[in-house]
Amino acid sequence: MEYDLKAMDLEIKAIEERTKKLKELGKEFVAVERNADSILTFVYLLKRNISDLVE
Amino acid sequence: MKEEKKYWNPAVETLPRERLVQIELKRFRELLRWSQENSPFYKKKFHGIEPEDIRTLEDVSKVPLTEKDELREAQVGKEPYLYGDLLAVPPERLSVYHQTSGTTGKPVYIPDTYESWQWVVEVWCYILYGAGFRPTDRVFLPFVYNVYIAFWQGHYAAEKLGCEVVPGGGLETKARIQKMMEVKATGLMNTPTYGLHMLEVAKEMGIDPKRDLTIKKMICAGEPMPEPTRLRLEEGWGADVFDHLGGTEPGGWAGMCTEKKGMHVIEPHFLLEMIDLETMSKPIPPGVKGVAVITSLCRRSIPLIRFNLKDMMMVRDDPCPCGRTSVRVDQVGGRVDDLRKIRGVFFSPSVVEEVIRGQFPEVVEFETILTQEGIMPVLTLRVEMEPSLAESQQKELRKVIREKLKIRTNLTFEIESVKPGGLPRYTLKSARFKDSTKK
Repeated sequence: MEYDLKAMDLEIKAIEERTKKLKELGKEFVAVERNADSILTFVYLLKRNISDLVE
Repeated sequence: MKEEKKYWNPAVETLPRERLVQIELKRFRELLRWSQENSPFYKKKFHGIEPEDIRTLEDVSKVPLTEKDELREAQVGKEPYLYGDLLAVPPERLSVYHQTSGTTGKPVYIPDTYESWQWVVEVWCYILYGAGFRPTDRVFLPFVYNVYIAFWQGHYAAEKLGCEVVPGGGLETKARIQKMMEVKATGLMNTPTYGLHMLEVAKEMGIDPKRDLTIKKMICAGEPMPEPTRLRLEEGWGADVFDHLGGTEPGGWAGMCTEKKGMHVIEPHFLLEMIDLETMSKPIPPGVKGVAVITSLCRRSIPLIRFNLKDMMMVRDDPCPCGRTSVRVDQVGGRVDDLRKIRGVFFSPSVVEEVIRGQFPEVVEFETILTQEGIMPVLTLRVEMEPSLAESQQKELRKVIREKLKIRTNLTFEIESVKPGGLPRYTLKSARFKDSTKK
């Protein structure tokens, strides 16, 4: 099996950063804030699944 | 043709054991710190323990066990209402409520944030994928959707995995069987007892699940499933039947892969330890029966650290041909709470199920009752047999059951026949052992 954990980890971190930025930009919009939080939940799971394996 | 993917997460599931343990220890330290900082219960319980001092599994084993009674006491009469001192997140972050059944006392309330609930679901994705559930499956859930966690996790995990989920909650058993037939369901989730009950009802309806339904895989939860029960379900349904381990407090934490030899702990999301039954503290090696202790490493709403499951299990030490590197366990001997010393002999009611399900297909339902006559404990097995059996056949069967149980347990049972339908049927946790000697 071929996979690049480090590259995946970088993408996960980039999604996290961008989602946090989106949340900040849309802080007056409950719809933006709550959906951004949902994305961050799945980022949390991606970190447990992938990022934690990167040494 | 696209190659079939074998694992939910190939990186995690094939990680060398040393690395898995390293990650588990790191997560253990993080969880311990989180708990000390956010949960009044753990702050008090683990006062003086420095997370950074925990560097090995031996260090972990020195952290005090958490008992169910402690969880209960930390909630009763404490604020915030329901969750008390256990809660480790602000109440406004909670989004899901579940509770234990309260079989052994007052229920324990287990809430989740959206994040911790999604983690519970994620773990179940490992379990379902390992058992061969795929997006092509249409999964039927004949489950009462209510306050108990039971198959809620399975529902959401199947959905996340890409299966089509058919909620069969508000239907009675005959309607559920008809619905499964109508939608051509390929997957099923139920307790072992309810799986057997559906077979019985299907038979009354003139339906042979093996011939008339399309179920190819079944995952069981809610109660221990001895191997003879699993095999009986496979035979009756003509499907691959998989077991899993879990509970309200930890969530699902282990599942059977398609090799069907023991259950893989979902590492490094959980840390499983096995301790000696006599001392309830000394760690034991693989191949020795002991009591399971679990830590849910990523659930932060109500942390669960070194929780004494009071389930007797044994860790396997042979590698699994599936390639997963996680620890595998077998359930052996049932619940510690059900263990009784009768006439000097340790007796576990789960042995009765193994004997009955493994050797007596004529027995439809059964229950074991422990009573006291004077100073003598008396074990009675009440059996409900196939209605087609003549009284003479039933009498002979009672004699053979008594002999087989004597050989297996070294105890003498009184065997009583009960008329068809005379014993209770269960959709969730069964209660086939009744101890009338308990005050």
